[in-house]
Amino acid sequence: MEIEITAKTVFTIPIFGGIPVTQTVVSMWIVMGILIAAAIIIRLTVKWEIVPHGLQNAVETLWEIIYNFIKENLGSKAGPFVPYFTTIALFLGVANMLGLLGFRPPTSDITLTATLAIMSMVIVIIGAIKYKGFKGWLHSFTEPIGVMLPFNIMDYFIRPLSLAARLFGNILASMVIMDLVFSFVPIGLPPILSLYFDLFDGIIQTVIFLFLSMIYLSEAIE
Amino acid sequence: MTAIGAAIATLTGIGAGIGIGLATGKAVDAVARQPEAANAIFRNLLIGAALSEATAIYGLLSSILILILGK
Repeated sequence: MEIEITAKTVFTIPIFGGIPVTQTVVSMWIVMGILIAAAIIIRLTVKWEIVPHGLQNAVETLWEIIYNFIKENLGSKAGPFVPYFTTIALFLGVANMLGLLGFRPPTSDITLTATLAIMSMVIVIIGAIKYKGFKGWLHSFTEPIGVMLPFNIMDYFIRPLSLAARLFGNILASMVIMDLVFSFVPIGLPPILSLYFDLFDGIIQTVIFLFLSMIYLSEAIE
Repeated sequence: MTAIGAAIATLTGIGAGIGIGLATGKAVDAVARQPEAANAIFRNLLIGAALSEATAIYGLLSSILILILGK
């Protein structure tokens, strides 16, 4: 029995000396396809009414859950950051649950989670410069006292590392456990465990990723 | 030998388990005492659990690195 920790290469794009395309990249394209298709279907079929019914109800409920969650954590300064966090929430939500369809979740590859973590840190820096000015941002390195300077600089490297490692480790661990269970007990047990490992764990990890990046952001813009 | 090393690295899970257990127990205590503060307590519980879980994840990562690089 072989459990893959690094993703297998599916095919190679024959330009620039060959770009390898791994399983996780293909499943990321599937996530993108699901989200784009959902957006087009919602745009074409829903007639926006004052009293919602059918699909419009579901869309509005989902939007309200995500929007209230962002608003609760960022308060009155949430405005410019709502699109970014909503995108991350939808993408991670679908990506973590892709194991339900039998694909390898794209977040079980550390390159994707590292990219998301670096994007979050860039958003934190942009937010700090926008609300405090460039000098204010530089000054925040020496708060509360000047001795803290090396630790504050270290923060900018440790935070994305722990964000990326947490998401990657959790999703990879649940994937490996599901593979193990599947190879020992093929029928009966996997669907029940899949509810916990794919559905519950996926949603919790999405919430924690959003939550931690919003805490870093709200700390930086206050 | 690499397998034994990887297994030892994942023992960090013990610490994370104790940490998350303590945090959750204290949070349940606090909610029982003050049900109206449940939202704020839940938020702090989430941070605490995520931060103490990080140690277990670092153990998992180093065991994976040992398995991949130590062949």
